Amino acid sequence: MTVLLDPTSERSPAARERLVRPDRLEGLTVGLLDISKPRGDVFLNRIDELLTERGITVKRYMKPTVAKPAPLPLAQQIGTEVNLMIEGLAD
Amino acid sequence: MGVATTEFIDAAAVQSKYLGTDPAYVFVPHPVQDRTDTELRQMADDHLDKILALLVKQAR
Amino acid sequence: MSDISTLPRDGLVAVVKRDCPTCVLAAPVLAELAAQGGIVVYTQDDPTFPEDIADRIDDTGLDVSHRLGIEIVPTLIRFQDGQDIGRTYGWDRAEWERISGFQGIGAGLPAFRPGCGAKNVEPGVIERLKVRFGETGLESRRVEIGDGEDEFEAMFERGWSDGLPVVPPTEERVLRMLAGTTRDPQEVLGLCPPNLIPATVEKIAINAVMAGCKPEYLPVVLAAVECVLDPAFAMHGVLATTMFVGPVVIVNGPIRRQIGMNGKGNALGQGNRANATIGRALQLVIRNIGGGKPQEVDRATLGSPGKYTYCFAEDEEGSCWEPLSTDFGIARGVSAVTVFAGFGLQGVVDQKSRTPESLTRSMAGSLRGIHNPKLAPACDAVLVVCPEHERTFRNAGWSKRQVYDELYRLCEMPADPLIAGADGIAEGVKPALAGGTVNKFRPDGLMIVRAGGGAGMFSGIIAGWSTPGPTGSLPVCREVKS
Repeated sequence: MTVLLDPTSERSPAARERLVRPDRLEGLTVGLLDISKPRGDVFLNRIDELLTERGITVKRYMKPTVAKPAPLPLAQQIGTEVNLMIEGLAD
Repeated sequence: MGVATTEFIDAAAVQSKYLGTDPAYVFVPHPVQDRTDTELRQMADDHLDKILALLVKQAR
Repeated sequence: MSDISTLPRDGLVAVVKRDCPTCVLAAPVLAELAAQGGIVVYTQDDPTFPEDIADRIDDTGLDVSHRLGIEIVPTLIRFQDGQDIGRTYGWDRAEWERISGFQGIGAGLPAFRPGCGAKNVEPGVIERLKVRFGETGLESRRVEIGDGEDEFEAMFERGWSDGLPVVPPTEERVLRMLAGTTRDPQEVLGLCPPNLIPATVEKIAINAVMAGCKPEYLPVVLAAVECVLDPAFAMHGVLATTMFVGPVVIVNGPIRRQIGMNGKGNALGQGNRANATIGRALQLVIRNIGGGKPQEVDRATLGSPGKYTYCFAEDEEGSCWEPLSTDFGIARGVSAVTVFAGFGLQGVVDQKSRTPESLTRSMAGSLRGIHNPKLAPACDAVLVVCPEHERTFRNAGWSKRQVYDELYRLCEMPADPLIAGADGIAEGVKPALAGGTVNKFRPDGLMIVRAGGGAGMFSGIIAGWSTPGPTGSLPVCREVKS
């Protein structure tokens, strides 16, 4: 394992930080990524309904296979089309 | 953020350390495949608040 | 491999290496001492040396050598009750007799031979040993990179980079960097804007490693950081402004040549490690220590490629003028750094002037165009005079002061054509100035340096921030300390 010395003021956590989250979801677009596990779509369909009820725009995506990471074009498409992302459902 | 079953709690922790990430996961009860549609929809209803909480800034 | 548990509580210990002729010379003496009363011999390089000592101990890992603080081999030490009660270095019969308590040893050898440097204090080795034994004295947080992470990608992900790859700041690299200065790693040079974080020598060294600096560049980086942390430089404003500016670093004195900086051809361009990495280190300090990042506190509209790095040396050797640092009261021959809040580079193309009168008119024309021809005073500026232009002044016997005075005179302009709205341009100076004159610069707002390649009648103007002088950013010069 590599150990590096922190070049910063150390005011933020040492681990890689998550992207800054928005204060609220209104007006944003949330992506739902189906990782292609059986039955995951039922769960995500319900999440879709619940988010839409709350006035949140939902976009749906699907990985071609559960066995591999999402292909780059899909990842790039998602990155330009949504503000936030929910992926599921891993069992 | 991601949604996974409770079977993946350890895996997520190990992988996050390996990749140096701070994971955002909600865990739902295992298993999924043999659940009825009604059960899965109920599971979504039950966990929605936790999912939404991970999408917005946490109250400190 | 050995550890300190192999040291005797009482008796003699020697540390040697085969690569040292004095150790080879003294090897028979070690055998004599082994026969007389016993000795524990640690060998730093070749575990088969010395052949005549049966129970020699392999210290090629250098753990025992490090813990004993060996600097020279051979070293002979007397232990008593676990304490080091006397030691000697090299081969010195009288000393060896005193430490060992045996007389007449090493018969036939010369009385004295100096030893050799020990392996455990070689550059690169001592740092590794200090890291292994937790003796670095470094206080910065350790960041563990996951085994599945690419360390270069990990540094990008953590926001430590200016957009280009950075060198991983391992403890060993940072220790080697700190060897470039005698200053205490925990010395605070000042509070680094925008977040007013104490800038320690250690934190600056970490960023210098990342920028790609060699240890010998560190004193220049430290001086540059001192300059921007001087309140007169107004680093917070320089960072936060929507204008193009960033710190421009100009280096004078012998350090330029000692570390191989470029003040000649392409001095302001790419290709010289010292120029490139010193300027970059300063920017990384602002980013990582101060927390100043683009689109956050750095509000630059366009920025400038110089905000990656902007650092060059004045070509003093070729110049008929005093170095820039002397304008700030630092004696010629003393290494110094001047930092100026500047942007871009505007060329002054004049390939025909053969008199200083013509050339200063040419240069003044370009200077009057800075920011907007209708704005005066506009900003401070640095005029980088190329060798072929400087030659014209040299041949005419013009001092730098004369050049400055003439340029300043030529930058004094009638206000009427510059007034807001004049010439169909809304931009311009205040109507109240009508009938008078205005100068493009504040007094002493124009600095002159000489740099560049031998061919090409192309000088350069580095324009500054629109808030010049005491109410904005002043250029700051500091001596480079070792």
